[in-house]
Amino acid sequence: MAKTLVIQPVTRIEGHAKVTIQLNDAGNVDTARVNVIELRGFEKFCLGRPVEDLPRIMPRICGVCPWSHHLASAKACDAVFGVEPPPAGKKLRELCNSVAFMEEHILHFYFLAGADFLLGPDADYSIRNVIGVLQAAPDIARKVVKVRHMCAHMLEVLAGKAIHPQAAVPGGFSKPLAPADRDLLRKQADDALDLAKFSIAFAKENVFPKYLDVVKSLGVITTGFIGTVKENGALNLYDGKLRLMAPSGSCQDFPYDRYTEFISEHIESWSYLKFPYAKQWGEGFSMDVENPKGVYRSNTLARINVCDFIDTPLAQAELVEFRAKFGRPAQLTLLYHWARLIELLYNAENAIRLLDDPEITSTETRVKVTPRAARGVGCTEAPRGTLIHDYSTDANGLITNVNLIVGTTHNNAPINMSVTQAAKSLIHDGKYDQGVLNTVEMSIRAYDPCFSCATHRLDGKLSVKLDIFDADGKLLDSLAN
Amino acid sequence: MSEIDQSDSLGQSDLLDQSDLPGFCRKPALVLGVGNILFGDDGFGCAVVDYVEAHYPVPEAVCLLDAGTSVRKLLFTLCLSAARPERLLILDAIDAGRTPGEIFEIDPAEIPPVKLDDFSMHQLPTSNLLRELQETCGVEVRVLACQTGPLPEEISQGLSKAVAAAVPQAAEWLVHEYFPRAIAPRVANNFAAPYVQAGGIV
Repeated sequence: MAKTLVIQPVTRIEGHAKVTIQLNDAGNVDTARVNVIELRGFEKFCLGRPVEDLPRIMPRICGVCPWSHHLASAKACDAVFGVEPPPAGKKLRELCNSVAFMEEHILHFYFLAGADFLLGPDADYSIRNVIGVLQAAPDIARKVVKVRHMCAHMLEVLAGKAIHPQAAVPGGFSKPLAPADRDLLRKQADDALDLAKFSIAFAKENVFPKYLDVVKSLGVITTGFIGTVKENGALNLYDGKLRLMAPSGSCQDFPYDRYTEFISEHIESWSYLKFPYAKQWGEGFSMDVENPKGVYRSNTLARINVCDFIDTPLAQAELVEFRAKFGRPAQLTLLYHWARLIELLYNAENAIRLLDDPEITSTETRVKVTPRAARGVGCTEAPRGTLIHDYSTDANGLITNVNLIVGTTHNNAPINMSVTQAAKSLIHDGKYDQGVLNTVEMSIRAYDPCFSCATHRLDGKLSVKLDIFDADGKLLDSLAN
Repeated sequence: MSEIDQSDSLGQSDLLDQSDLPGFCRKPALVLGVGNILFGDDGFGCAVVDYVEAHYPVPEAVCLLDAGTSVRKLLFTLCLSAARPERLLILDAIDAGRTPGEIFEIDPAEIPPVKLDDFSMHQLPTSNLLRELQETCGVEVRVLACQTGPLPEEISQGLSKAVAAAVPQAAEWLVHEYFPRAIAPRVANNFAAPYVQAGGIV
């Protein structure tokens, strides 16, 4: 009889992904668990603080996606104060969101997940690094680097500083965009669009066809999806309503401040990270790969699935082609990468659209706010998934409660399921090889997970360890690279 | 290594102009204070940067930045950049089992070269990036660390007394090692005091 496994937690400041595989009596995979560490205590840290401090504090949750937290926090503050930013304030926020998305997606495709495709999933790890990718495709890499620098510079022009943004404030945006700056950014947005067009064309010709077999088989699960859409069903990454799509493709739309009516969180004893699930489906929660219940995914593929269309022409054309190939909803996990490139294209087009809007240079970018006792929810799409900030304040505007659901939390159950599916396909009759680790990594990497939003470690400890247990709970092997 | 068809690449010799590069790539010396100021002693690196900026004139040849929690993105950019500083100093807090407030150097080359995952930028370890800069890109990389105090039960802003006391010490070391000539501090005071955690001695 298989033993119950208890994964020992590590300290809260480590970034860590541990995969534990449980074999059954026949030596085949019974379950696989991905234990991630969620930073605890941040919500409590905010208690008693003036709510207007939170858009300045929240970017420090995560040094990789500060803009997402910054904007979701500002939106939550708007709701707490009961105000609507002026159009220019909203458009500047959305423009920053689009530019930040571009920077992230470029980096992820070319240098993180892209290494799987550009160097091959079995490439020696000694070259699976930043310089290795640069050496494999120097001309492309230089252009990518330039556009990435440019996106960072655009954010500095828009927000006044590149690290830990503070420009989004309750009621709007603190810094209007001068016309001369708008003209500069407009040229840079054209460069970003060029790279986006190149990226998806390059990937469709040189990358995805080579790995179609892997795409069709690795980490494939069937789930629902969640993402943000406008009232007319168009993709939007800054604001809109939430859409929860069941595996069948049927959808429920709701205002994001009612998320607790649609989403609940399951807790497992072996993980610090909760497992959100769609309680509205009325089926409970299960991560059984063959018969999942309540499980939905977030992030790029989810957003591409839930939207009815994309209201920028080039991205819409790509969406039409994507759906002709893979249907709607598309379930193949590695299609996250393809969806990421469609979003890259959308964000470049959206940035141009916003910069061409005469209202973007208006000096009316914020409204005044007055403290009150209230609850406010801010929701935006982060590169890694739907991000929700939920604040409550007392009559003096001091925080009494904070709840955050970050993008990767939505994907906790799907990541576990994808890893289970990947492990099941690779381990049979107790037999496996070192390649199982690489392949498991690929299935996790597709989600671009946010395993830790805390500090890094300098001591060189490994961050991925894969333990395989037999049916009696005996550790058979521990793989780590 | 797979061969990649670059026939559709976007530009022939698309070398970057210096003006295309961010400022932190272009100066001979780059000093990055890293950490999260909200998490107690983890804010040490940022506090040192603040202290130096307040107490010393920063030479033109030195780029001094509070990188906060975004250091990985900056290091990533350095790895890819056509121009890089000659010298890079990281200021950071670490729990290495030493005496709280003790300052010591870490050589990235001494960190065990175990694979650290690359799932996402969240997991891209700073140590890998530092090693790449040092071994592949020829940048002199040094890490000045400060031993943290005991982990408190709850997150709170502000340095412990021992770590706060180390801030001026680290600043003086940095100035001696990285500023072109000996520079006297502008203001001699106990600037570390505001960094002490509420609640007194930890």
